[in-house]
Amino acid sequence: MKYQQELKDSIRKALPGLDVVIAWSAGYDPLHATPHFIRREEDIDRLEIGPFSVHNLATYLPGLRGKKVGIVVKGCDSRSVIELLQENLINREEVTIFGFPCTGVVDQTKIRKALGHTGKVDFCQIASQTVVIGLGGEEHKLRLSKVLADKCFSCQYPNALISDHFVGEKISPSVQTEGDDDLEAFEKMPMDERFAFWQKEMDRCIRCYACRNACPMCVCRDHCLAESRDPHWLSQEDSVRDKWMFQLIHAYHLAGRCTECGECQRACPMDIPLLLLKKKMNKEIKELFQYEAGVDPEATPPLLSFKMEEENINEREW
Amino acid sequence: MAKVQFIKSADVKPWLAELAKEHRVFAPSYDGEALLFRPFDLEQEIILDRAATMPPKKTVFPQSEKLVDFTYSKDPENLSRVKIDARETLPEGSTVVFGSRPCDARGFTMFDRVYLSDKNTDIYYQARRKNTLFITLACRTIENTCFCNWVDSDPCDPTGSDVLAIPMNDGYLLESVSEQGEKLLNSKLLADGSSRKVEADKICQEIAGSINNTKDLSQAPAKLLAVFDNMQFWEEVSAKCLSCGACTYLCPSCYCFNITDETNGMKGKRLRSWDNCMSAQFTMEASGHNPRPTKAHRLKNRVGHKFSYYPTIHGGVISCCGCGRCIKSCPAGIDIREIVLKAIDFEPAAVEE
Amino acid sequence: MTKNIYLPEMATIQEVIRETHNIMTFRVTLNNPEAMKNFSFKPGQVGQVSSFGTGEATFVINSPPTRMDYLQFSVMRTGEVTSKLHSLKAGDQIGVRAPLGNSFPYEDMKGKDIVFVGGGIGMAPLRTLLLFMLDNRADYGKITLLYGARSPVDMAYSYELQDWLDRDDLDTYLTIDAPYEGWQHKVGLIPNVLLDIAPSPGNSVAITCGPPIMIKFTLQALEKLGFKDEQIVTTLEKRMKCGVGICGRCNIGTSYVCMDGPVFTRAQLRQLPNEL
Repeated sequence: MKYQQELKDSIRKALPGLDVVIAWSAGYDPLHATPHFIRREEDIDRLEIGPFSVHNLATYLPGLRGKKVGIVVKGCDSRSVIELLQENLINREEVTIFGFPCTGVVDQTKIRKALGHTGKVDFCQIASQTVVIGLGGEEHKLRLSKVLADKCFSCQYPNALISDHFVGEKISPSVQTEGDDDLEAFEKMPMDERFAFWQKEMDRCIRCYACRNACPMCVCRDHCLAESRDPHWLSQEDSVRDKWMFQLIHAYHLAGRCTECGECQRACPMDIPLLLLKKKMNKEIKELFQYEAGVDPEATPPLLSFKMEEENINEREW
Repeated sequence: MAKVQFIKSADVKPWLAELAKEHRVFAPSYDGEALLFRPFDLEQEIILDRAATMPPKKTVFPQSEKLVDFTYSKDPENLSRVKIDARETLPEGSTVVFGSRPCDARGFTMFDRVYLSDKNTDIYYQARRKNTLFITLACRTIENTCFCNWVDSDPCDPTGSDVLAIPMNDGYLLESVSEQGEKLLNSKLLADGSSRKVEADKICQEIAGSINNTKDLSQAPAKLLAVFDNMQFWEEVSAKCLSCGACTYLCPSCYCFNITDETNGMKGKRLRSWDNCMSAQFTMEASGHNPRPTKAHRLKNRVGHKFSYYPTIHGGVISCCGCGRCIKSCPAGIDIREIVLKAIDFEPAAVEE
Repeated sequence: MTKNIYLPEMATIQEVIRETHNIMTFRVTLNNPEAMKNFSFKPGQVGQVSSFGTGEATFVINSPPTRMDYLQFSVMRTGEVTSKLHSLKAGDQIGVRAPLGNSFPYEDMKGKDIVFVGGGIGMAPLRTLLLFMLDNRADYGKITLLYGARSPVDMAYSYELQDWLDRDDLDTYLTIDAPYEGWQHKVGLIPNVLLDIAPSPGNSVAITCGPPIMIKFTLQALEKLGFKDEQIVTTLEKRMKCGVGICGRCNIGTSYVCMDGPVFTRAQLRQLPNEL
């Protein structure tokens, strides 16, 4: 990533005034990065940004309140920071934001699918639009566009919407090459098919709650309805009903707050298409309130505000 | 003497169909993008060239299971009294798991020491364990996350399995490990495989040679205890942890559970369901006191249990089978190997006099 | 057939005693007469008591093994299960899985002077051992009891305190945190009163149980009085589910409070990692 050095320099300058800076470093194999907590000067060298910087680091911010935290954000991540600020879940003066122009991150599921069988990953090189992966002694060439996350194709905010330090040149949003195919296909299904679809997908949920914990806006954390006994919302039974009930409540709580960062789906070890549900909710919100979450720090999410009359809700059919 | 048979690749599904007449058979197949052990179905493609997303843990230790069924009723002798009828519900039937990996099958031996100990027997676990047979597939490909060789195992380890299947170019060499396993190898679809034993042994040797270099973890129990009170160490290694349960639920050797009562009108059940030490609720006491209040405390327990406490209690056996699923499935990319090695290498800063 | 460790014995509440505003005592008998006849336990062992539909919670059996007309549990209302138990009355059915865990080392205590220091609901586990010792009085030396609570109305077992005070073979001291009209006993925090009474550590064993902050300062006071770690015994509380060392939540390092505890000497506690 060409702005990496510039970013490191910028962090080096700011670090003395901060407790920690959250960025990414190389992960367990050449196809993975991992969140990287920079506390000391020598930690800076291991920082790496690029197509594997998939994690939305804003998720860590509410847990670090009271500390001076630096955070490196992609454009999409910055929307979560804005949303957290809007809801007073973090303090602006405690957070130092480092932005960079993001050209897209990969979807690990797509890579896994494209490679087919698994084996030892020896190397990965990305040159222009091609990803070359050394797997078990063989070389695999993949087109970058085949393995980028879906959200990157329709990304309207490749540059951080809020930042204290921005490295590199801002880039313009990608021209949408693909629409929300999955959402369109989903909406074409009749209601009973939709229900059957979710029943099938949710059946393999193991209730690990990675979706919840990876979500930057899911802030009840240790006081979640999923485990609460009083009130007793959910049974601990391995049943689709309870799993689906949790996802529905989760989605409702995120309606108008979710920035579609896709961490729920990325975190899910069972690859349940959870983002689809969130996209559907957000589409409804957009139609009703013309509102997009995490864009304007001064705005109030529509379901956190109250109006006597809503323009697009005619509850009494007046 | 172990029974050695050979099966042609094309005969695997017909053989499983035969077995399915007597047992519930599970084999790896895709459900969406997740490769899971699912009830065998002739129509479904079974996938044997890669490790499954989930180990076949549910076959012996279901995500939730009923321990007790209870019903409330009025005492006909005295209508002001409520009678409760509570009865146990034990699992029945036998299961064959095809395509488990050596690490998967070995995971249950970690359960055995706890669930079937001299002190207590968990009869629900016992009923399933006894009646679940594992036809384990030796690994031909090694992944970056594989480290079974660090924890006294290898890609052809038969421990915990009933039959070991070694993938050859044209089929599988099937070697019985247990008596029950031997009984599975009587099908007409199988042929004597003794002549190909040498070839299979060579394959196992080759695979063992391709795995990542091993590390000496013998110091882990003492070293992890030595850093127990060093909260800065644990806060740093747990900083990126999201406190979810992916690592534990995908772990073949994680065996912790919760017990809750779930009711519906006058009927109810006492359930045992998966629980995990990464959750704040796990040790939360009714008073509000929590002995493991932060994710640093909780991750310390997870690593400590596997690499220190369990081996200390159970003759040095590390309660990790090196499958690497916790690393692969962690949404934050936490690598348990890194933490253990860091604890082993940790030198307390010299205190200046 | 192997015993099902998760299946409770059905039991009937024979009597409910309201001890304080948030503590109730339940006297129960197992429904199966054989099981009740054969039931045996040691002082300090606990049971999982359940209300079906709500769940189980852990309580010490606070009646002594020398009095087997019923099993007694005292329940402080703190959470879901305890609230449910508080709504029950004589005749109601509950489940009991007992005995679980280890016990007080009462054999090793024979011939010794005994000092009990109990605070609040922490008196429950001491009660079983105290009554057991009184029932085997010749086996033990001088017995001293210091029992404290916030105020007189927070004192459990009030109906038997007079008997304890009157006995010649038991030195009973009661204390409350702050002066209270009509109170004729000591006033002051337990550790301070303990320093006043100053029991001799010589041939003694001290057994203490109570809220964490009280335990902390009581241990300091005992140390000041000259009690060695081996002479101090306490009983721990942890969230438990299975009660038989399987479910994995009550461990402190290699020790499972449900199996290796709940009773530990201070010397044993010092060997465990610091995770109370």
